[in-house]
Amino acid sequence: MRECVINGSDDVGMMSVSRLFFVFFVLLVFASPIFVSVGLAEIDKNAAASAIDGAEASVVSAYEAVLGAEEVGANVSGLLVRLNDAAELLAEANIAYGLGQFDEAAGFVGVCSEVSGAVKSDAFELRVETQGSRVWELWLALIVSLVGVVVVVFAGFLGWGYVKKRYVERALEMKPEVSEG
Amino acid sequence: MMRIDDVKVLYGLACFSLCLIIVSPTIATFVSFPSGEPFSEIWVLGSGHMLEGYPFDVENGAKEQVFVGVGNHLGRSAYYVVYVKLRNQTQALPNSTISEPSPLAPLYEFRAVVADGETWEEPFAFSFLEASHFGDLFAVKKISINDQVFTVEYPCVWDSENNGFFYQLFFELWIYDDDSSSFRYHNRFAGIWLNMTV
Repeated sequence: MRECVINGSDDVGMMSVSRLFFVFFVLLVFASPIFVSVGLAEIDKNAAASAIDGAEASVVSAYEAVLGAEEVGANVSGLLVRLNDAAELLAEANIAYGLGQFDEAAGFVGVCSEVSGAVKSDAFELRVETQGSRVWELWLALIVSLVGVVVVVFAGFLGWGYVKKRYVERALEMKPEVSEG
Repeated sequence: MMRIDDVKVLYGLACFSLCLIIVSPTIATFVSFPSGEPFSEIWVLGSGHMLEGYPFDVENGAKEQVFVGVGNHLGRSAYYVVYVKLRNQTQALPNSTISEPSPLAPLYEFRAVVADGETWEEPFAFSFLEASHFGDLFAVKKISINDQVFTVEYPCVWDSENNGFFYQLFFELWIYDDDSSSFRYHNRFAGIWLNMTV
């Protein structure tokens, strides 16, 4: 009969701890992909959410730049088409995020930010360009109007002399003649 | 014959009118004249792009299509979001009196920047998936919108008055507000009623 000799309580403790450690190690090895994937998914989710927030701010900023260009009278139809593309991409990103497709959402957001950034800088350029030509057009309109008014006033004075003369002539023509009877 | 003073006044008035006509284009560039009441509009059109042909009796899995559109008459370009929501007969609609949107979470969204006087329109294809009914209860688990599948799980009860299981698909119009730097509900929505059949 085999005799099991236990030399002390320390041996039992060491055995149990090492077995427990081994079991934990094996569990950890098998479970780590789950934890890692959950953790990565959480990181993906947070990254996608913050990227969407950034893209939203970028589209809004581009929209405000386009509004600024529109206010000075620029033709913004081309910019609106591109801004609509960016807005559509942002909607796609939001939908993908809602469905848990964070990688897709991040992809949409990347293109969206790129497009809206380009729209914003083009809108600023267009605004400056339009403002310059607009100021020149306004000065031209002002000068043409002033010249027109001066011409009308001057011609008015000259014309008044002629009208007055015609009036007197007609009045004299209408004067009854005195004939001898 | 008119008196010379009357002629003088008439002549002066004619000259003044001529001056006004000459400067009017310049004045128009500096002064903004009041335009009409600014407003936005949202609509849903049937599959034939008309105010008819709306889907009503909807079967599980059958693909339906409508068109959703937005019109801008605000006097400048506007940035809109259209939220698509689905509700049963007991769930809340937007409250027009206090300008509150429906508390339901949106299933889908459209975004568009629309120029003044312009319209925007998009097709909206949908089908209900995994729908089933048990007695007086009807349950839809999923809805496919423009080829994306969303989980809904809204049950609805038999409407004995109108003889059917009814859902309403509606579109809320939101607008970007410069003052608050955020989107706010624009107090407009359009929707269609759907009678569900398995």
